[in-house]
Amino acid sequence: MSHAAPAAPPSVPAAAPRTVALLAEFDSPGALLTAAELVRDAGFRRWDTHTPFPVHGIDQAMGIRRTRLPWIVFAAGLFGCTAGLVLQWFTNATSAADAPGLWTIFQGYNYVISEKPALSLPAFVPVIFELTILCAALAAVIGMLAMNDLPRHPHPLLALPRFRRVTSDRFYLVVDADDPQFDPVRTRAFLRQLPHAVAVEDVPEDRSSAALPRGLVIAITILVALALLPPLLVARARLSKTTEPRIHLIQDMDNQERFKTQQAGPFADRRASRPPIPGTIARGDLAGDAHLLTGRLGNDWAATFPASLAIDLPFVQRGRERYGVFCAPCHGYGGAGDGIVSQRALRLNTEGWVQPTSLLDQTVRDRPVGHIFNTITNGIRSMPPYGDQIPPADRWAIVAYIRALQRSQNARLEDIPPHVQADLR
Amino acid sequence: MAAHPVEIDNTWERPGERAPLVTGGHTFASLTDTVCAVWEAPRPPRAWYIAFTISVALLAVFGAMIGYLIINGVGVWGLNNPTGWGFDITNFVFWVGIGHAGTLISAILFLFRQKWRTSINRFAEAMTIFAVMCAGVFPAIHVGRVWLVYWLAPYPNQMAMWPQFKSPLLWDVFAVSTYATVSLLFWYVGMIPDLATFRDRARTRLKRIIYGLLALGWTGSSRHWHRFERAYLILAALATPLVLSVHSVVSFDFAVSQLPGWHATIFPPYFVAGAIFGGFAMVVTLAVPARALFGLRDLITLRHLENMCKIILLTGLIVGYAYAMEFFIAWYSGNPFESFIFRSRALGPYAWAYWTMIACNVLAPQLFWFKRIRTSQLAMFLVVMAINVGMWFERFVIIVTSLSQDFLPSSWDYYRPTAVELLTLAGSFGLFFTLFLLFCRYLPMVAMAEVKTVMPHADPHAHPHAHVPATRRFDYNPDEFDQEPPA
Amino acid sequence: MARTAQYASERRRFERGPDRLAAAAAGLGLAGLAAGLALGPRVGWDVFFRSYLLNYCFVLSLALGALFFVMLQHLTRAGWSVALRRIAEFVVAALPWLAVLFLPLLIPVFQGRAGVYKWSSPEVVAGDPLLQAKAAWLNPAFFTVRCLVYLAVWSLLAVVLVRDSVRQDATGDVAHTHRLERWSAPGMLLYGLTVTFFAFDVLMSLNPHWYSTIFGVYFFSGCVVGFFALLALLVLSVQRAGGLTASVTVEHYHDLGKLMFGFVVFWAYIAFSQYMLQWYANLPEETALYFARQNEPWWRGVSLLLLVGHFVAPFLALISRFPKRRPGLLLPAAVWLLAMHWLDLYYLVMPRPHGTAYKPAAYLHWTDLALLVGLVGPFVAAVVRPMARHALLPERDPRLTEALAFENI
Repeated sequence: MSHAAPAAPPSVPAAAPRTVALLAEFDSPGALLTAAELVRDAGFRRWDTHTPFPVHGIDQAMGIRRTRLPWIVFAAGLFGCTAGLVLQWFTNATSAADAPGLWTIFQGYNYVISEKPALSLPAFVPVIFELTILCAALAAVIGMLAMNDLPRHPHPLLALPRFRRVTSDRFYLVVDADDPQFDPVRTRAFLRQLPHAVAVEDVPEDRSSAALPRGLVIAITILVALALLPPLLVARARLSKTTEPRIHLIQDMDNQERFKTQQAGPFADRRASRPPIPGTIARGDLAGDAHLLTGRLGNDWAATFPASLAIDLPFVQRGRERYGVFCAPCHGYGGAGDGIVSQRALRLNTEGWVQPTSLLDQTVRDRPVGHIFNTITNGIRSMPPYGDQIPPADRWAIVAYIRALQRSQNARLEDIPPHVQADLR
Repeated sequence: MAAHPVEIDNTWERPGERAPLVTGGHTFASLTDTVCAVWEAPRPPRAWYIAFTISVALLAVFGAMIGYLIINGVGVWGLNNPTGWGFDITNFVFWVGIGHAGTLISAILFLFRQKWRTSINRFAEAMTIFAVMCAGVFPAIHVGRVWLVYWLAPYPNQMAMWPQFKSPLLWDVFAVSTYATVSLLFWYVGMIPDLATFRDRARTRLKRIIYGLLALGWTGSSRHWHRFERAYLILAALATPLVLSVHSVVSFDFAVSQLPGWHATIFPPYFVAGAIFGGFAMVVTLAVPARALFGLRDLITLRHLENMCKIILLTGLIVGYAYAMEFFIAWYSGNPFESFIFRSRALGPYAWAYWTMIACNVLAPQLFWFKRIRTSQLAMFLVVMAINVGMWFERFVIIVTSLSQDFLPSSWDYYRPTAVELLTLAGSFGLFFTLFLLFCRYLPMVAMAEVKTVMPHADPHAHPHAHVPATRRFDYNPDEFDQEPPA
Repeated sequence: MARTAQYASERRRFERGPDRLAAAAAGLGLAGLAAGLALGPRVGWDVFFRSYLLNYCFVLSLALGALFFVMLQHLTRAGWSVALRRIAEFVVAALPWLAVLFLPLLIPVFQGRAGVYKWSSPEVVAGDPLLQAKAAWLNPAFFTVRCLVYLAVWSLLAVVLVRDSVRQDATGDVAHTHRLERWSAPGMLLYGLTVTFFAFDVLMSLNPHWYSTIFGVYFFSGCVVGFFALLALLVLSVQRAGGLTASVTVEHYHDLGKLMFGFVVFWAYIAFSQYMLQWYANLPEETALYFARQNEPWWRGVSLLLLVGHFVAPFLALISRFPKRRPGLLLPAAVWLLAMHWLDLYYLVMPRPHGTAYKPAAYLHWTDLALLVGLVGPFVAAVVRPMARHALLPERDPRLTEALAFENI
C-alpha cells in the first residue's frame, strides 16, 4: 500500500528467462487453504504456499508431514547432559594421579572443598542442566535452519515485485516447474481456476548476480583482516625470541618502588640495608646459664633443676597451668598420652598418627629432667619444638609438674601427708 | 490506520467472548504499515533523540567508570570487610532479574497459549538481551583482575587448573551465558519473518541487502513455517526451565552459604518470582511511553497493560509470601542469628533500605487490585517505577545487611557506596537504554507475523472466503485445462 | 455438523451408578479403618497414627490440588479446561468430608505421643530448649485452633466454588462466573497461606528441630502433581463409563499430559532446591532430616526410587507428544504418579526421628495399607457421590464452547 513499485531492471539480453514456477495469489487464508487442498489432491509434489504468518490448518491442507526436529533436539539434549557430567567429573573429580600418562593440560584437578565428595552430584546438577539446555537450543535453531536450507541464495520469488506482499498481507501458492505434472498451459489454467485466486503469474529465473555489492565485500574483507590481526600478533609474540624485556602492561604489583638488600640506599653510609643494632645476638649464640637454657651440664643431661629457680608450690602450679595450655591437648591432662587431639586423630584414622608418649611410663620416669627439658625445647620424633613459645623458666616449671604427675601415679600411701591420709581412710 | 488520540478500552470482556487484542479495525496491511512506520520514518520522533542523547551520555559515564575501576583497582568502590559484595552484585542480580520478564512473555506465556503476548514479546525479548548484557558486565568487573576473567572458563591450560564446578559462582557463569545465548537465538529466530518484512519494504539498496542478509532468505514458505513453529515451540519449552534455572542459580550464590538471611531454601522460587515481578515492571515502564511515542496504541492495548499489571500483582504477592516465610521461619527455627538478622533489617542500620523495599514491593503493587489503577497509564507507571526501585533495594537489603552483620559482632562494619559505584549503576541504565532505543529505531519492535495470527482475519474459517474442509478428494484431470480460460 | 451431533448424543449425567460406587467405596473404607484399628495394638498406636497421617495427607493433598486448579481456571478465565472443571469440582467437594476425617489426628496431639509429634509431649519439651523456644507455636491448643481454621477456610471455598458452578447449570447466568472469579483471587491468597502453614504444622513439625522456608511450596507441588494424575484418571474413568465422550477430546488429554509433565519438573525443581541447599551448607540441624533418610539401605532405596520414579522416569515418559495424545498411555502414567506422590509423603512422614522411645521393627506396616484403603474409600465416595446429582460438565458455562473447540499447538 505504501511502498512504490521499484524501477524496472536494466534491459536483459535477447533470450527471455525461463519460467521456474507458477504463482497464484490469494488475499485470505481461507482461500489459500481451499486452493491448497485442491493442489494437494491433484497430485502435485513440488509446490509450496507462502504466507505472512503460519496459517492454521495449512499443514493438513498441504499434506506436510511432521518434522523430525524434536528428535534431533532430544539427542542434542542428551549429549549436553552427558557432556556436562563428563566435564565436571573429569576436571574436578580426577587428578593427575588418575591419568599419569595424559598430557598435563588435560589432567584433572581434584579440589577438596569442605569435605564434599569429589563427585558431588547435587553440586554438578546446575551445570549439567545448563549444558543440556544450551545444546538442545543450539540444535533446535541450527537444525531448523539447516532443514529449511537457510540461509540460502535469494529465491527467484524474491525478485518478483508481486511477491513483496508475502510478508505483509497476501498468500501465495507456487508450483515448481520441476514438478512431474507441470505443464505450462495446463497448470496455469488450473491455477487460474482455483477459487478466489487474485492473480496468476510466471516466476522467471533470477539472472541477477548473486554476488554481494563490491563495497560490502571490501568492508567485510577489511574487517576480517583487522580481526585476524590480534591473534597473529599474539602468535608472533609467542614464537619470537628477543632480548628486550616483554611489554608489561598490567603491572600487578610486580615492579614496586622499594629497596632490596645489597642495593644502594639513601642513608649516610649509602646502603639500603641497615646494620644490626648493638647488643643483637644471633640465634643459638646466647651465652648464659647452660643448665637453665639447655638442660645440660657439660655433656650430660642435668638431673637436677637449675639453682636459680625456686621449686615451690607456686612454681609447680605454674607448671600445671602451662602444661594445661601447651601439653595437655596431646598428652592429656593426666599425662597418659590420651589428649583430645590424639583421641580425635585415632577416631578419624589419620594416616601416620602415632599416639603421644605416656609421660607416666617408666622410660620417661627414668629420664633426667634435663632430657625432658630438651624435649620440650626442641621436640622429639613427631612432636614439634616449643622452645619459641615457652620461656625457659616456664619450661622448667612444666618439667616439675610432669614429675609431680609421675609421682602421683606411682605413689605409696606413706608419701601422702598424714592429714590427707586421714581423709582417705 | 492513523494513530488516534482516543484510548480504546478493551479491558472489559463478556465471558465467552474474547476481547479483541488488536483494536482500531486493522487489516494485515495496515498493521504492517503501523509497525514499519517506526523504521521507515525519515526521522525518529524528537523524544527519541532526547532520550538517546541522555542514554549515550550515561553510557559514556559507564565506560569511564569501568575504565577508572580497572586502572585503579576495586579500592575505588566502598567494599570493605565484611561487606565484600555491595552495589556490584546488587546490580548484577537486578539486571538479570529484569531480563527474566522477556523470556516469561516469550516462552511461558506462549506455552500457556496467551495470545496477548504477541504485541509485546519482541521488545520484551530485546529488553532481556540488553538487560543480560548489563548484568554480565558486573561479575566481570568485580573480580579485581578483570584481564584474567577468562580463567572462569574450563579450558585446558599448562597449569592443569580447572574452575571449581562445585561453586555457585561458576554455575552463574554457565547459567548466564546459556541464558544470553538462548535468549539471543530465540529473539533472532523469532525476528526472521519480520526482518523479511523489512527486506521487502526496504527502499534503499543498502537496507535491502542488510535486512536481506539478516532475514536469511526467508520466503514465508509453509514448509519452512512448519519447522519454524516446531523450533519456536521447542525453544519456548527449553527457555521456560532455563529462565527458572538462571535466577535459581543466581539465588544459589547466596543460599548455599551459611549466613543468616542468606541460607533459606525458598530462595530459588522467591528470586524467580521477584525477577518476573521486577522485569514486568520494567516492561510496563518501557511499554507505556513506547506505545504513545511510536503510535502502537492499537497493538499494545490497555488490555495488554492490564494483564501485565495483574501478573505484577501476582508475582508481588509471591514475593510478599516469601518475605513472610523467611520471617516466620527465622523465629520458628530458634536460631538466634537468624532472628537477629531479621530484626536488624527492620530496625538496624539499614532500616531505611528495608522499609523502602517493603513500601515499594509489598504495599505499592496492592494498588493493582483496583481496576482503575490497572487501566490508568499514569498510575501504573508510578507504581511500576516504585517497583523498579523496590526490587533494586530488595537485592541491596539481602546482600548488604547479611554481610555487614554476620556472626561475629567485632567484624561488623557499615557499607557506604562511593560515587564511582553510584555512577556505575546510573551508567548501566545508559547501556540498556542506548541499545533499546537503537532497537526501536532499526529493528521490528512488534512481532508482526505473530500479531497477525491473533487477528480475526487470520482464522481460515472466517470471512472472506471462509475455508470449509473438503469432504472428498478432488479429482484432477489435466486434460480439462488444455486451454487458457478467457482472461 | 457431525461434531454437534456427537455433543447432542453424549452422556452428561450418570443416574444411579455413582451412588452405588460411593456406597461400595465407603464400605471398603470403613473396612480398612476397622482393620487399621484392629492392627493398632499390634503395631503400636504411634505407628497407627503415623499411617493415618500419611494416608490422610495423601487424600487431602489431592483435594487441595483440585482446589488450586479450580480457582486458577477462574482467575485466568481459561477456556480449554471448562470441560474438565466439573470433575475437578467433584474432587474439591470432598474437602468438607476431609475436614471431618482430620479430627482423629488430634488424638495423639492431646495424648502427648512423642512418637508422633515430639512437641506434644510435655516430658520431651521439658528436656529440649529448642522445643521450649517454639512452645508458643507448637502446643496442642494453638495447633488445634490453627488446623481448624485451615479446614474451615478450605471447606468454605469448596462450598462456594462448587455451589456457584452447579447453580449455573440451571440458569446459565453470567453472574455466577463473575462471582467465582471474584472469590478466586482472595481465595488463592488464603489458599497459599493455609496450605503452607498446614504443611508446617502437620508435616514439618514431625521433625520439630528441622525447618525449611520452601516446605509449603514443596507440599503444594506434590499436591498439584497428584491432582493432575488423579484428574487424568477420573476423566478416563468417566469416559470409559460412557460419559463426556465428545466433550473431552484428545486435546484435553494432551493438555493434562503437559500439566503432569510440567508439574513433575516443578516438583523436582523444588525438591532439588531444598535438598541441595541443605546439603551444601551442611548444617547439622538441617541435614539431620536427610541423614535419617539416607543412612539405612531401606531409606536410601526409597530416596533413589523417589528420584528416579518421581522425576526421571515420568520426565522421559511424558516429554514427547506421543503418550500425551493417547489416553491409554496416559493412564499408567497417572497411576504411577499417584503412587510416587504417596511415596513422597511416605518419605516425609515415616522415618522416625532419633531419640524417640521406639524403633520400628519394620519399615512398612499393614496399617499403611489398611489405612490407605480406609481413607481413599471415603475420599472416593465423597468425590463420586455428587456425580449422581449434577452434570458431568458445566453445561451452561459461557466458555464451554471454547473448551469444545480448542486445538493444541
